[in-house]
Amino acid sequence: MTAPLLEVEGLRTHFLTRAGVAKAVDGVSFVLQPGEILGLVGESGSGKSVTGFSLIGLVDPPGRIVGGSIRFAGQELVGLPAEQMRALRGRRIAMVFQDPQATLNPVLTIGTQMALALQAHDRVSDRAAAERAATMLTRVGIPDAAARLGNYPHEFSGGMRQRVAIAMALLNGPELIIADEPTTALDVSIQAQILHEMKALAAESGTALIWISHDLATVSALAHRVLVMYAGRIVESGPVGAVLRAPLHPYTRGLLDSLPAMTEPGRRLRQIPGTAPSLLALPPGCPFAPRCPRADAACTAPPPRVDHAERRALCHHPLEAAA
Amino acid sequence: MLGYVIQRLLQAALVMLAMSALVFAGVYAIGNPIDVLISPDATQDIRAEAIRRYGLDLPLWQQYLAFLGRLLRGDFGQSFVFGMPVLDLILSRLPATLELALAAVLIGTLLGVPLGIHAGYRPDSALSRAIMAVSVLGFSVPTFWVGLILILTFAVNLDWLPAGDRGPTLEVFGVGWSFLTLEGLSFLLLPALNLSLFKLAMMIRLSRAGTREAMLTDTVKFARAAGLSDLTILRRHVLRLISIPIVTVFGLELGSTLAFAVVTETIFSWPGVGKLIIDSITSLDRPVMVAYLVLVAFLFVTINLVVDLSYALLDPRLRRGGAAA
Ligand SMILES: Nc1ncnc2c1ncn2[C@@H]1O[C@H](COP(=O)(O)OP(=O)(O)OP(=O)(O)O)[C@@H](O)[C@H]1O
Ligand SMILES: [Mg+2]
Repeated sequence: MTAPLLEVEGLRTHFLTRAGVAKAVDGVSFVLQPGEILGLVGESGSGKSVTGFSLIGLVDPPGRIVGGSIRFAGQELVGLPAEQMRALRGRRIAMVFQDPQATLNPVLTIGTQMALALQAHDRVSDRAAAERAATMLTRVGIPDAAARLGNYPHEFSGGMRQRVAIAMALLNGPELIIADEPTTALDVSIQAQILHEMKALAAESGTALIWISHDLATVSALAHRVLVMYAGRIVESGPVGAVLRAPLHPYTRGLLDSLPAMTEPGRRLRQIPGTAPSLLALPPGCPFAPRCPRADAACTAPPPRVDHAERRALCHHPLEAAA
Repeated sequence: MLGYVIQRLLQAALVMLAMSALVFAGVYAIGNPIDVLISPDATQDIRAEAIRRYGLDLPLWQQYLAFLGRLLRGDFGQSFVFGMPVLDLILSRLPATLELALAAVLIGTLLGVPLGIHAGYRPDSALSRAIMAVSVLGFSVPTFWVGLILILTFAVNLDWLPAGDRGPTLEVFGVGWSFLTLEGLSFLLLPALNLSLFKLAMMIRLSRAGTREAMLTDTVKFARAAGLSDLTILRRHVLRLISIPIVTVFGLELGSTLAFAVVTETIFSWPGVGKLIIDSITSLDRPVMVAYLVLVAFLFVTINLVVDLSYALLDPRLRRGGAAA
């Protein structure tokens, strides 16, 4: 077995707001192998983005990593000096965001923006930077790339813009890319294309991928393993196939039942009742208990960890795994 | 892009036309135009002769066309007080005001923008608090008071810089400039600092607000995720993102300083157009006032045109008919 690329242990990222402490990430642990694609799913506000930003060292105040450890290729990232963290960002860990309209600078050409991303890490001449940028744009499927370096973001379509952002993330050959809902803002047909290309690019370059999404269907098409997040915690994790076939956690079951594609024809779609709890006022014990069909008195105590082959869940009353 | 330029030029021409009509109405239709054109103590014969010569017995629209024609030829008549063509008079004073206004706005911008960006980037640092205190001061302390304090400190008490006047100038393109010699600069420095304080305060506010907003955008977060240093992000991304309001205020301030530097010019006895216009108001030198109004309108329109055109340079989304795909 190879050494893991990323080992996250008990990560806790809290926002110290005036209204109280929002425990956006509260004890997240997982391991990522080189080249692996990991899906991170959960409802809005469950802490997926904050987890991603914690990994790359970009949690903005009032947020702060208050505990736990992030080991990347053997190096501890929590508490790493700012300059070392900056040198790591973009070069070894890259990130792609949801809305390419908002992430690219509207008043700089994409050639300039890509050159800046290269020159942040190496002494690269403008000409060499342009060449490397054009090569990468071609790889992500932008035709006539060299000529388009002088174009501004608004001169690209939404899908093309996201391809530019992906090319920027790939530019320095990172070992890990964190993709925070990179296709959510795009048309469905383009979503599928980009998903497919992203998978191919990651496999081709051996890059590991953390794919953040609120959509289990997208993740199931892409990831090797999946983490299900609820109220700042990983409530279930395991290989995608096994988790989708027979989830251990009632929350995962609920997510599955609310997916049209996953439900047998004729069966009604079921939404999970209730809404995600406020992070400022979590119930004691299992945070999902108030919405859970299986909850009983035991659920007011912190849920135990359930191990089932390669899978784990945090639950007092896990569903039967079909082995 | 060319279409945009032509459209803006036409707009500028229209504004100038409207301005000329207003000035014409104010002087020819409301007042008694002959008072504007010749000295009040001229004899009856000269008056009658002038009325005929300037066509004041003609219908208004013909007079307006003639007025426009004279404007286009740069003929603003004679100054009663100085007895010389008004255009020459104003042009002899304009460079002094031009370099004073430009120096003031440049000092305010070149200092204010970096300071404001710092204050927006690190809002809680001690330096940022000091910067904001300077900006509050710049807004609240009256210009004339600062001018007097500057003179008291640097001219009277320390005797480092001259208290007023323009000093020697160097002749370039047939016009005298102060900023080309060290001694000239020593005369320019105090009045320029005096005028720049308000602009400094303004630029600090503007850049700080823009920077704070820009730092929260996904654009900056994405640049940070790519490993760009904060300095690079501020210089390459943020500065460009906040440049449009800065250029706008630069233009507005330059225009209004050119037109209304009166207080500072008076305090420092700076021989610019501000002082000239106050003098001509007190002596009822009306041709000078008319020319000044037209000229100020012209300056504002020109500056606005340049600002508008630079928008297109700064924001590619405003360029129409570019290489859009
Ligand atoms: N700047 C902030 N100030 C205070 N609390 C914050 C801040 N940013 C995030 N949080 C808290 O962290 C929680 C998780 O946010 P996060 O953005 O990670 O959710 P998410 O799972 O990515 O949701 P989405 O699917 O909507 O993107 C939020 O519910 C909020 O309470
Ligand atoms: Mg998110």
